[in-house]
Amino acid sequence: MSSISCTKLTLFTISALIIQFIGLSLFVFAFFPVKPLLSGYSGSESFRRPTCDDGVEANPNEATLPPDRRRFLYQEVSEMPPSYDRLILMVIDGLPAEFVLGKMGQPPSKAFMEAMPYTQSLLANGMGVGYHAIAAAPTVTMPRLKAMVSGAIGGFLDVASNFNSQAYSDDNLIAQFFKIGWKMVMHGDNTWLKLFPGFFARHDGVSSFFVKDTVQVDRNVSRHLGDELSRDDWNLLILHYLGLDHVGHTGGRSSALMASKLSEMDEVVRMIHTNILQNLENDQRQMLLVVVSDHGMTESGNHGGSSYEETDSLALFIGPKNHASSHTLSNHDTIFQVDIAPTLALLFGVPIPKNNIGVLISQMVDSLTDEQKLRALQLNSWQLFRLLQAQLPDLSCRNFPCDSFITDSGPTISECKGSKEKLFCCLYLNAAALHDAWRDEVVIKSNNTEGYNTTVAAYHEFLSRASEWLSHKATDRPISSLAFGVAALITSCLILLKLLFVIHKEVPAQEIQDVENYMKPRKLDEVFILLGILILVISMGSSSMIEEEHYIWHFLTSTISLLFFRKAIQSFDLNKAVGDLISAEKKNYTSGCQISLLFLIIFCGRILKGWHQGGVNWTNLPDISSWLEQAGSQYINLIQITSCVIIFMLGIFLLFLLQSKKKVIMVIGLSLLMSGLLVLQHFMKHQNMSASNNKDATLSVQVFYAVLGITTVTVVLVLPWVMPKNTHEKCSKWNLYMSASVPTEIQNMTPIFVLKDSLYVIGCMYITFWCLLQLLLQRPINAMPLLLLNVQILAYMLAFSSCGSHHNKQWVEIAALYNLGMAGHFALGNSNTLATIDVAGAFIGISSHSTFLSGVLMYIITYASPMLFFFSLVMYISIKITICPLVTDGGNSGEILKSFLGFPCLVPLSINSILLSAYTIVLVLMRNHLFIWSVYSPKYLYVCAATACVYIGVFLVVTTVIYTYIVLFWLRKSFSITSKEDGTR
Amino acid sequence: MDPRKKVSKEKTAAASKPSVVEASPSISFSEAFTVNLLCGLGLALAFFVSNNIYSIDLVTDPSLTLFLISIIQLPIVILLYSRYRLNRKKCSYLRAVGRGIIGVPVGALLNSLGAIALGAPVTFQYLPKTLYWSLMMSLFTTVPASCVLGSSWADRKRIFAHTKPNGSVEYLICLQAHGAVIGGWFGAWPMPLDWERPWQEWPISVSYGTLAGYLVALVASLGFVLAHPRLQHVKNE
Repeated sequence: MSSISCTKLTLFTISALIIQFIGLSLFVFAFFPVKPLLSGYSGSESFRRPTCDDGVEANPNEATLPPDRRRFLYQEVSEMPPSYDRLILMVIDGLPAEFVLGKMGQPPSKAFMEAMPYTQSLLANGMGVGYHAIAAAPTVTMPRLKAMVSGAIGGFLDVASNFNSQAYSDDNLIAQFFKIGWKMVMHGDNTWLKLFPGFFARHDGVSSFFVKDTVQVDRNVSRHLGDELSRDDWNLLILHYLGLDHVGHTGGRSSALMASKLSEMDEVVRMIHTNILQNLENDQRQMLLVVVSDHGMTESGNHGGSSYEETDSLALFIGPKNHASSHTLSNHDTIFQVDIAPTLALLFGVPIPKNNIGVLISQMVDSLTDEQKLRALQLNSWQLFRLLQAQLPDLSCRNFPCDSFITDSGPTISECKGSKEKLFCCLYLNAAALHDAWRDEVVIKSNNTEGYNTTVAAYHEFLSRASEWLSHKATDRPISSLAFGVAALITSCLILLKLLFVIHKEVPAQEIQDVENYMKPRKLDEVFILLGILILVISMGSSSMIEEEHYIWHFLTSTISLLFFRKAIQSFDLNKAVGDLISAEKKNYTSGCQISLLFLIIFCGRILKGWHQGGVNWTNLPDISSWLEQAGSQYINLIQITSCVIIFMLGIFLLFLLQSKKKVIMVIGLSLLMSGLLVLQHFMKHQNMSASNNKDATLSVQVFYAVLGITTVTVVLVLPWVMPKNTHEKCSKWNLYMSASVPTEIQNMTPIFVLKDSLYVIGCMYITFWCLLQLLLQRPINAMPLLLLNVQILAYMLAFSSCGSHHNKQWVEIAALYNLGMAGHFALGNSNTLATIDVAGAFIGISSHSTFLSGVLMYIITYASPMLFFFSLVMYISIKITICPLVTDGGNSGEILKSFLGFPCLVPLSINSILLSAYTIVLVLMRNHLFIWSVYSPKYLYVCAATACVYIGVFLVVTTVIYTYIVLFWLRKSFSITSKEDGTR
Repeated sequence: MDPRKKVSKEKTAAASKPSVVEASPSISFSEAFTVNLLCGLGLALAFFVSNNIYSIDLVTDPSLTLFLISIIQLPIVILLYSRYRLNRKKCSYLRAVGRGIIGVPVGALLNSLGAIALGAPVTFQYLPKTLYWSLMMSLFTTVPASCVLGSSWADRKRIFAHTKPNGSVEYLICLQAHGAVIGGWFGAWPMPLDWERPWQEWPISVSYGTLAGYLVALVASLGFVLAHPRLQHVKNE
């Protein structure tokens, strides 16, 4: 039997963790590419041919130009006058283009046709041009708005890192308009205000929070419409209607409210268009109405993924001019959503945003002269070429003389092939050469249609190829680092499993009295834990199992509890006559206790499951939390206060289970009581949510944070120093239980008792404080689940400490606790979508805005339950400290620490590493899956965060135990010396 | 003292001695085959009745189908297993039948509690379904045991908690009960999937799992009964 020393074990574990960490970060950055974005804003240089040293050439004075001068500058250098003066951008959230334009050449359904008579008539007579604008995933509002105004596709991490939707700092149309002194007005979704704070002269933001509200949310936008249309002080009016999205979320695509909502939108379009025509008569100011939707919706009204239904968004251009030149009316083209940005930029005479990957919609510039049209294409090509230069460093001047274009003997059109740098260079040069040739010929011949057409074709060739490549680049993944990351993850997983196996083999050597127990084949619960992990790994391959992961964890956890239940029954005898002695009675009593505790655990688990109907598909089923929310907030407050009282009472009760009436325990009990009362006072005082924003509430929360932090640190640091003072009596108390131990060794064992007691007290304090903190941070509805989780964990502790003859193996118990922690994670209302993260709680007790602090709070709230599991491990280690092997081992502290910390650290690390590696492989296999962005990637973020949680938790447990151990065993020496001195005197 | 208690005391005394392997009536393979065949035929009959007479199945009307299965299975199971009651001298056939009938609601209660603990819905809408499902479960798990073993805690513990059946009848009881429970457990897995099939509702897929597990156990228990004499032989060695 191979034995492994403590140092070796530690070194191996740490190296496995480092390998895991490196592998994970490699994988994450390869799989979720962070696209190199160009910083800064396009200026007048975008109207000049791209050269080698763009940066130097930029006019230094330009940044300080006043808006009016800047506008004139742009008009001067752009060589094409703005086609329109004013823009109304009407965003209809979640409107699938199919509703307006139909699908596959078919007109939309009759009900929708009739619901939008005016819009349909505009489309029919060519006043409006509609497109299917393909949106990129993820199809949620904010990234889509960004794509529309900047023409760029953000990476996934960009979406995930923007929970509080900070101001948009990349180059975009709104900023460009702002720079030329446009006055902008926004009514509708307040996402715009978050993205562009301070840009809008007038605004009325509505929140998309109340999804049930389908009427008022749009009325709040339309009530400004008449007033705004009568004014002429604005240049850009943004109207963002959320109602249609809400209709979809509540009733799906075929909701009864959909047709009436569409006719309401049609009414808005009619009103605006009539106004456009009036304005045209009055003052000749040209106004363009652009009706867009940010994304579509699935049959059930959801969005976020990349199915056709979700990505099929609308782009509808309605102007005073007739666009129906030669276009077949029923056939609506398909464009990309990013194409809107360059088109609008060119139509309104501002530089195209730097990171745009879209292509000009050529039909929109049909009314211009040929020269202007080519100029528009040229500007678009220059912008894309600059972006290509930034992304492909080889496309610089040195390797390919792209800017020194060909001047000899007319246009030399070459067949383009080769590496992508060569290809783009060649395509670009072709187009540029043709353009120049056409310009030369126009001077001679007045009309040259053929040359014009080839030039346009060449430009389009370059634009579409470049745009396609750039959009693929956004989702491009380097294979080598992916493979290396996966390999590293698997290696570390194997190392951890091997270590676990080794120390599992070692245990029988230490616990000699249990040899029979270990000789038996694997028991049901052990087999089940392994089966459970296997099931988890398998279920990760199915997107709906990921969405409904809470079912799996609850099912596994309650089955484990039922198996423990069965085990407890094994040692329970109904017929008292079986045994002959008191020992049998006592055994019966303990297993009776265990049975009732396990019953309590199962009962609490069932309530926890019913509390939040999590997941995605079954959220409409009734659950306790929505029922309580309907019943009224007074009940919730009552439950909150009761839970708070019970939680700190439980903590104090646990402390006094130690049966030590010493001052230290009293002081700690008092501190628990005090912090409990602080939370209670906070709840009493600031019952309703609206009042929790005031300074008073913030102050009381901050006081609580301070008390909590100081108490925890003080207790952990001081307790091991103070505890030894009351050990003598404890020794004798323990001695009663330990009939086998030899009295002379008591002196030797003292520190271990003290260690056991102090770890118990620290663990108890950790658990209670953590629950109190969570009570404060979580939504009020989560107070009861927190209490139930606390009860479950404590009941497990008691059940494990009073185990009878059939006691479980340590790793089984820890794995069961881990399962409990994960089931609790979902019971607190979390899911594998980013939507369930409680952002509101992240600002409790923070007086000034700090992304870091609110991020930490958000993490604490989300991972409440798994962290509770780790805190409970401290207590678990304390109750599992067995005395016999330690006495025989003597002073080898390495062995002792290994027996304390081996399983509690390795089991969570191993389970997590199995799940992490398995899920990473699943993610690689599913990279082309339809739900990769909406289901798999958010879940991967959760898996990564859970890994971080395991690191933090294990670190906390290890430091606490080792610190306590070191202090005690350092104290032991001085203690024994002083006692010897006492003895000699 | 209650005679049954005395019986159980004797039983446990006998069981505590490892070498004595006896007590529960050993039945021949052909008899076991008949019992299992009749149980299987009972199920087939129940499905035949529900399909052809009521023209329903588990998916269209789970409550009634489960009820039919239970009502048809009930006399078959109780009458068959009461023949193999322990300690025939002290316990009449009718008494065993009575025990079996008492065992039905008790077993149903235990099974429904177990199902609810594992996540079965508790709303009023699902109450009858849970009830009928647990009736069926009770016939597969506890009723045969209560017919054969009576209220002996030690025997039940040995069979259900320790999984150490003793004698061919106990093999039948133990394997079928475990088969039904494990089958039901696995039958619950498709429920959260978003296939939007009608059979994903509680308790349809679980019932299918239960029935499948039960049928497998019927066959497997026959195999064990066949191998049983040999197993006994090995143990005695």
